[in-house]
Amino acid sequence: MRGVYVAGVGMTNVGRHTNTSLRDLGGIAALKAIEEAGNERPEALVIGNMLSSLIEQENLASLIGDHIGLRGVSGFKVEGACGSGGVAIMTGYSLIASGLFNKVLVVGVEKLLERPPSDVIRGLAYAADADYELVHGVTFSGLNALVMRYYMGKHGIDYEEIAEWSVLMHRNGSRNPFAQLRNEITLEDVVRSPLIADPIRLYDSCPLSDGAAAVYLVSEKLRRVNDTPVTIVGIGNALDSTDLTSRPELDDLLASRVSADKALRMAKVRVEDIDVAEIHDAYTITAALSIESIGFAERGRAPRMWCEGRFSPGDKPTVNPSGGLKARGHPVGATGVYQLAEVVMQLRGDFPGVKVPAEIGLTQNIGGVGSNATTVVLKR
Amino acid sequence: MKNVLLNISASKCLRCGYTVYPPKMRCIRCGSGEIVYVNLPREGEVLSYTVVRAPAKGFEEFTPLIIALIRLGEARILSEVVEVNPEEMKVGMKVVATIRRTARTIDGGLPYVVKFKPLESGSEVGSNQPDSFPS
Repeated sequence: MRGVYVAGVGMTNVGRHTNTSLRDLGGIAALKAIEEAGNERPEALVIGNMLSSLIEQENLASLIGDHIGLRGVSGFKVEGACGSGGVAIMTGYSLIASGLFNKVLVVGVEKLLERPPSDVIRGLAYAADADYELVHGVTFSGLNALVMRYYMGKHGIDYEEIAEWSVLMHRNGSRNPFAQLRNEITLEDVVRSPLIADPIRLYDSCPLSDGAAAVYLVSEKLRRVNDTPVTIVGIGNALDSTDLTSRPELDDLLASRVSADKALRMAKVRVEDIDVAEIHDAYTITAALSIESIGFAERGRAPRMWCEGRFSPGDKPTVNPSGGLKARGHPVGATGVYQLAEVVMQLRGDFPGVKVPAEIGLTQNIGGVGSNATTVVLKR
Repeated sequence: MKNVLLNISASKCLRCGYTVYPPKMRCIRCGSGEIVYVNLPREGEVLSYTVVRAPAKGFEEFTPLIIALIRLGEARILSEVVEVNPEEMKVGMKVVATIRRTARTIDGGLPYVVKFKPLESGSEVGSNQPDSFPS
């Protein structure tokens, strides 16, 4: 298998993009990545997106490809719920590793906020099991709340210990110019925010977001296009059920755990060697489960560790210096691509927010309540 | 009719015995395709629950909506719990299946589904609740 390198990245601010269309969002991020990669014309375009059907637009590779002058290149959209960006990266990686292409542009894009929130909440729940779960009206927050209450009871963890994650994420996000939520908050702000699905409060949840990010992947042959190329040394994806009920253990995110094992094994990197990670904290509980599944903490230990200052800037690993989904925001199908672009910038030393001196980085993007996860390991 | 609707089918593996809901075509533990459908008991115990206060479109009239993860015999099911106040919900609470209306489908259908109610609030058959299944 051939090596795959990241020659350029691009992203838009995350937030409410009332006056920028889906094609413009994707185009802005894509053109920035192409520019960083020496204005080389890509041979293929892979789009990660979950819910463009909500705004009545599919066929995104043609829409965005044509918009930025790529008629004639290969292209398609891939989907893996909130993990669509990670799946798009895995696809782009495969297209190069297989030898089919030397230059692949991966764009994650999502634009949801032109729909009313109740439509978006219903749409996000499409990631769950329509026949057996959604028929009861459970939301995505509701499913995560079931896991959170179970986790708190099983491990004897207080709500406040988990909620402390949001305080840390807002602190990191306040320094990221691309982040949606740039205000610092206190634990009391989290605890006093309205319940959306007990025990999950508003401030335990990521915001609804629009945004786009892009990464330009190249083979060894094209490595010269950037003088500090970052290498993808390991990548792994894994599936789990869409339903929660058939899982043997509710707080074991199998897909997250297996995808991390695959990526670390492929990279020949130990989890202790990771300097910086961007993980999928759609809710505070998701942060705990992702951190534990990757192996940064033992099961049931992550919240105590972040309350003791672990995973903060200065620690190894520093987790979510971007502010994570919680503060950077969660433009669903774009999130996995944001994570990769952010870690690439950390390894190059040009991330414009909290900087982490790093040689080895990791990203983990999760779709559904852990039903599809992609982990990537990168080296400078 | 109502008794048939209250059947909750899980898949049971004939090789290793593992039972899951929703039913699968192959065993999630040993991979065997030798699967039979079995009915789960109608009485169970709440393993976890939430109260959905920000509803999905179409579920406004059911909000606050109590959703529980319930152990039914060897398997678990996710469903709504009715006839109880949110503050009375508890992990470990005993519940029993009942048939109730849920939100309209996108094509305007009015589906009836299995929901659960506290075990002490009476038998599931012959309920006089206004939205129970018409007999």
